[in-house]
Amino acid sequence: MTAPKPAPAKAPLPEPVLNRKNGILMADRRWPTDQWAHPWSLPGYRNGALMLAGIILGILGGGALIGELSKWGDKLYALMAAFATAKGISTVAVDAVWVAIKVLIVLHVILVNGLWSIWWERKISAHIQSRVGPTYAGGFHGWAQTICDGIKLFLKEDITPAAADHWVHALAPAIVIAPCIAAFAPVLFGTDLAAARLDVGTLYVFAFAGISVIGVVMAGWASGNKYSLLGGLRAAAQIVSYELPRGFSVVPVIMFAGSLDLSVIADAQSGYWWGVAPRWFVFYPVVGQVAFLIFLIASIAETNRTPFDIPEAESELVGGFHTEYSGMKWSVFFLAEYAYVLLASFLLATFFLGGGGSPLPWAPFTLVPSWIWMLSKAMFMMFVFLWVRWTLPRLRVDQLMDFNWKFLLPWSFANIAVAGLYLAFWLK
Amino acid sequence: MIEHIVFYSLSTVVLVAAVCVVTMRNTVHSSLFLGLSLAGVAGLFAALGADFLFAAQVMVYVSGIAVLIMFSVMLLGRASDLHLRQVNEQWMAAVLICTVSSAGLLKIARAYCGTLAPSAPTPDTRAIGRLFMGEWLLPFELASLVLTAALLGAVFFSRSEASR
Repeated sequence: MTAPKPAPAKAPLPEPVLNRKNGILMADRRWPTDQWAHPWSLPGYRNGALMLAGIILGILGGGALIGELSKWGDKLYALMAAFATAKGISTVAVDAVWVAIKVLIVLHVILVNGLWSIWWERKISAHIQSRVGPTYAGGFHGWAQTICDGIKLFLKEDITPAAADHWVHALAPAIVIAPCIAAFAPVLFGTDLAAARLDVGTLYVFAFAGISVIGVVMAGWASGNKYSLLGGLRAAAQIVSYELPRGFSVVPVIMFAGSLDLSVIADAQSGYWWGVAPRWFVFYPVVGQVAFLIFLIASIAETNRTPFDIPEAESELVGGFHTEYSGMKWSVFFLAEYAYVLLASFLLATFFLGGGGSPLPWAPFTLVPSWIWMLSKAMFMMFVFLWVRWTLPRLRVDQLMDFNWKFLLPWSFANIAVAGLYLAFWLK
Repeated sequence: MIEHIVFYSLSTVVLVAAVCVVTMRNTVHSSLFLGLSLAGVAGLFAALGADFLFAAQVMVYVSGIAVLIMFSVMLLGRASDLHLRQVNEQWMAAVLICTVSSAGLLKIARAYCGTLAPSAPTPDTRAIGRLFMGEWLLPFELASLVLTAALLGAVFFSRSEASR
């Protein structure tokens, strides 16, 4: 037995380096999770609440100053037309430029929505799971996280697997995103505020939103990977099935409004019952609520989000149809997913929540311009989307199909029948 | 002028895609070109100002039927399919039937060759709905009866042998 060696003499620990960056001792710095002990005693938390109130008041005040955006659009168009007549340019050129401006605006709605909603989803998912989410990037609650992620994705290597079908693999993200952008054409952003006023608006949006599944199936097949193929097949089955209750749940709304035009549907919900309760379709007894819930559930399934995310189930299929994508091609799939969430939010606000109408018929509410009401309703519905995603577990494939074909679809048919009775006996 | 450019470019897309559907060796590529061809037909409807037909064509054919065809092709496709012959011994009969039906279609379509279509979309959904619920109610209901029969047939054949 040898005596245990005496431990070698330790060098004394260096003095902690106190970084005086920003005037704060880094040694005293609190971790973000420490804040959860007594949140309201922290000045930052109170300041945050004040800041939120300030942001809301600022948006309302700014909105009251700006007024209706559609009037500014009309003014801009009149200015362009006057310029063209002064210079002797044909009106076709004016219209072409005007369409290009509208397309650019709608495109940027989709792009900015990507930045905003990914950050928001990270924060909401974190708070639902008792975390705090991105905190450091940009300083204020990690607002620059999506921008940094975007730069990272832009710099990543674009990989095409050797087994892939190159053309189809490269085209798939484009086939996913292009119909998504086109589907935004008739979407209402406020009263009379849409890129195009289409008589078949509802049908048009559903038709174009349905094309994207071709891109998903292409991505799944062309990757040359069995997990991708399974994801693509699951996506095709799921999205084609859920399109039916999604379309049929809107039929009562179309029957009540008497038109497929989105702005007619929104205008049909103006007015108040007994001078107080808004005549939104979601408040029509039973039919409105059933249609709203079916449309919400089917929209979540259409966007492949969590209770229905079997096409990209990480624990079963690695990443499903986008397993073999990286960099910008991968991010295009996610841009399209968040754009579809935004589209569904605006559609829910238009079909069921009265579009740009104020919820109460009194002065401070009715002074707020319609685009702010529309945006608030859409953002509330987007919050519901994120809330559902981070609360519910994933369904199994057979449960998903049973739920659609044996529950949602029959009830949406029954809903149409009851809506017909309403039209015959109540609404005339 | 613009109408001509739109018409001829869309027609080129439709015809080239349709030829690709039958000449492509890979059946998945064929089904993708079928989707492109159907989308081109939808574009032709839009160029003619038929907005309801345009949306219905995109909804039913491009995002419904083309996807189902892709689904079945991917589910059933094998690598050996790439080496199969593309024509079988019945190609003569096929050419004959195609010629006869094309000649018939040409004869029918010729009557409307000189007619100008409105280029601006005219809202026609309401009119189509009234015709379906009024003058053409019987054909409309018969078509839905055929679809119901097809649905029942699918249920019957997809059940297992024992439970029939």
